[in-house]
Amino acid sequence: MNSETSAVIGLDASGTKPVMTRFRFLLRIGILVLLALLLAQAIYVVQARPQDIITGVSGMKDLISRAMPPDFADVPNELWPALETIDIAIFGTFFAVILALPLAVLAAHNTTPAKPVYYIVRMLIAVFRSVPDLVWALLFVTAVGLGPFAGALAITINSMGMLGRLLAEVIEDMDMGPMDALASTGAGRLQVFSHAVVPSVLPSLMGITLYQLDANIRSSVVLGFVGAGGIGFQLLTAMNLFQYPDVALLIIMMFAIVIGAERMSAALRKRVA
Amino acid sequence: MNTAQPLIEVQNLGMRYLTGRQALQGASFAVHPGELAVILGANGSGKSTMMRIIAGMAKPTDGYVKLAGQDITTMDGRQLRQARMALGMVFQHANLIKRRSVIANVVCGTLGRHRNVFTAFGGLPADEFGHGMRCLEQVGLTKFAYQRASTLSGGQAQRASIARALAQRPRALLADEPVASLDPEAAEEVMRLLRRLAKEDGMAVLAVLHQPDLARRYGDRLLGLRKGIIAFADTPANVSNGEIDSLYEGFNPA
Repeated sequence: MNSETSAVIGLDASGTKPVMTRFRFLLRIGILVLLALLLAQAIYVVQARPQDIITGVSGMKDLISRAMPPDFADVPNELWPALETIDIAIFGTFFAVILALPLAVLAAHNTTPAKPVYYIVRMLIAVFRSVPDLVWALLFVTAVGLGPFAGALAITINSMGMLGRLLAEVIEDMDMGPMDALASTGAGRLQVFSHAVVPSVLPSLMGITLYQLDANIRSSVVLGFVGAGGIGFQLLTAMNLFQYPDVALLIIMMFAIVIGAERMSAALRKRVA
Repeated sequence: MNTAQPLIEVQNLGMRYLTGRQALQGASFAVHPGELAVILGANGSGKSTMMRIIAGMAKPTDGYVKLAGQDITTMDGRQLRQARMALGMVFQHANLIKRRSVIANVVCGTLGRHRNVFTAFGGLPADEFGHGMRCLEQVGLTKFAYQRASTLSGGQAQRASIARALAQRPRALLADEPVASLDPEAAEEVMRLLRRLAKEDGMAVLAVLHQPDLARRYGDRLLGLRKGIIAFADTPANVSNGEIDSLYEGFNPA
């Protein structure tokens, strides 16, 4: 074997040990240069000015001093919006599961009735989940008006896409044996679905749903910013009216809700696993 | 010779795939009540094709299959499903729903005769639990009835799957490599059970086996399949080891 061919395939003269060839070395340098360029353009485009962080510290200090102490006397007024935030997520998650189940069955290649249906539903699911819930909320605020219902619908549509995709994957990974066995005893399509498919996917379904509920509570906090109700809307209003002690309280409440939801979801998921 | 009507009757069965491959040719045999017949054959010998046709999952290009006297090769849809209820299936794997109880799995076998809104949405017919328990009794698993199916051993799970097939109230059983994934002891147990179902309950049992030794000891009749043609069909005593070995010799899967 001559030295030229060995350089191409990256072996030394004996043909056993891989060595760093000149080509590979240049390739590595090239990749590093590309990464550096990528980062440089990002720094330029976001108009990063490190000095602003330093001068911004005093502004933040001022903001925090004006927000302290948080206005705990306002808690009773904020309980209802807080409940709204949680209920937007509960409503959205519940109806998303109901709607995602049939979608997932159509979008799993082992249960779909026909290939065209599979592709159409896959595309629908992709649209539901790739459009962010904040954008869905904007659309629904226009359609059904300001308030929590718009937020609940936005969460429903977006998590329907999320759950539909995850559930379709669970169904695709399922053991087909029990389905075939039940079909062989003369059971009908719906019977096979409810007696073989549902029991085998139920634990994953519950786990995924609880995880989605947690994610939905986090999104529903933010949805208020576009007028879709809940605690986020209160935060937006307080900010606009410069009521910083109120803002501080609302941030603390958001923190409590999000952490609480996360903890509860994790604890329940452990139980169903 | 058995004079009763055969429960599984295969007549001049032929199957030529669209690719032109002749998977099955002129296969004829019958399995009578009280009989356990065993099909032996190498991979690609046409066993799977034959099983699929008998189970009504594929249509032959020649000949017919009669289950309890009814020709299923001319049937479709609802009619086929009705006729097929006379045939219970046992697979290589138990295929139980692991999170459900053993008895629930067995009662699932009766769903075909209880098609209504309640059972379509996950309900089990309450009046079939007695029948389900009797099926479990036949396979010796009554004390496991209320355990999760996932707690059963391989052999127990396979027996539970036979109980599920029995819950369907079939007159014949089709077992496709029922012991292929079991340890020798569990395999013997399952074969004893299949034999007893034939002898004591008068069922016709047709099993595909890969173990010539089990086939000899439990089968009433051995059917040797080679390249889509039935090479021999006789009692174990009349089939030599050489004839069985010839099924697996020099075979090149297509």
